[in-house]
Amino acid sequence: MNEVFLTNWKSQVKKGTLTFIILNVLKDKKYYGYELIEQIRKFTEIEIAEGTLYPLLNRLKTENLVDSEWIEQETGIPRKYYRLTNTGIKTLLQMNSYWKNLETAIQKIIQ
Amino acid sequence: MKIEPIKFSQEASGRVYKDYMKRVRTTTASLSQQDQDDVYMEFNSHIFEAIQHRNDVAEIDALLNVLEKLGTPEEVLKPLIADKKLTEATTTFNPVHVFKALILNFTNGISYFIFFFLYLFLFAFVFLILAKILNPSEVGLFYKKDTFMVLGISRNLNNQGMNELLGNFFIPVMVLSIVLCYFILTLLLKLKKSINKK
Repeated sequence: MNEVFLTNWKSQVKKGTLTFIILNVLKDKKYYGYELIEQIRKFTEIEIAEGTLYPLLNRLKTENLVDSEWIEQETGIPRKYYRLTNTGIKTLLQMNSYWKNLETAIQKIIQ
Repeated sequence: MKIEPIKFSQEASGRVYKDYMKRVRTTTASLSQQDQDDVYMEFNSHIFEAIQHRNDVAEIDALLNVLEKLGTPEEVLKPLIADKKLTEATTTFNPVHVFKALILNFTNGISYFIFFFLYLFLFAFVFLILAKILNPSEVGLFYKKDTFMVLGISRNLNNQGMNELLGNFFIPVMVLSIVLCYFILTLLLKLKKSINKK
C-alpha cells in the first residue's frame, strides 16, 4: 500500500467536501463558529484546522450562501451565528442531489 | 458592539491571549475598522467558547490548545484578508484599496497578474505626466514614419528624424488614459468577481 498517496488523497477529499459538510450542518439550525466545528467533528470525525473555518465561512457569505449575525450573550462575549440563506438552501438541494447520483455511481464501481 | 476582552484567572493565560489578539489586530490592520473588529470579535468568541468548554483541562493548557488549533493569525487570515480587500476595492473605487487587493490576490492566479500590469500602466501614465512637467522636451509620444513609436522619455530623438505627436495635448491625453485605464480595471475586477460567484 502507498501510504503517502493514501494520506494525500484523504486530505484532498476532506478539503473538497468541507464546504459541502458545513452547508449540510447549517441546513436545519444556525450555529456559531466553535459549535459548528464541534458538529462537524461529531458527524464526520474530521479534524479541521479551526482557523481556516472563518475564511471559508466568509467566502460562503460573499457567495450569498450563508448569512451571519452577532448575538449578545450574558457572558458579555457575543457569538456570531451562521445560517443558510434562501440561495444557500436552494443551492444545497442541488448539491445534495448531485452527491446522491455520484454516490450511486461510485457504489456501482466499487462493488 | 463593544469588544469585551476575556478574563483569565491565571496571569500567564492573560499574557498569551493578549499577545495572540495583538497579532490578529496587526494582521488585519489593512482592513476597514468594521472588518477588523469583526475578525477580532470572532476569534475572541472562538477562544472564549473553547475555554468555556474545556472540562477538566487547566486554563492555560486549554488556551494553548485552542490557539494551536486556530493556527497563526498571519497564516490563517491570509485568504480572508485577500477576499475582504477585494470586496472593499470593488465597492469603494478607492485606488489604495484596489492596489492592496491586487497585491494580496497577486498569487491567486494569472488574471490578477494581468490586473496588476494594468495597474502598473496606470502608474506609468501618472509618472509620465510628472516627467513631462519636469522635462517637456524629452517626454512625449515620439514617432518616426512607419517604423518606430515611443511613449515615454527619450533622449536625442529629434536628431534621428523623430517627431512628437501630442505636443501640448500630452498631459490631457495621459489624464484621459489614466481615467480610462482605471475604469476598465475596476470594471474588470467587478466582472471577475461576478464570474467567480457563478
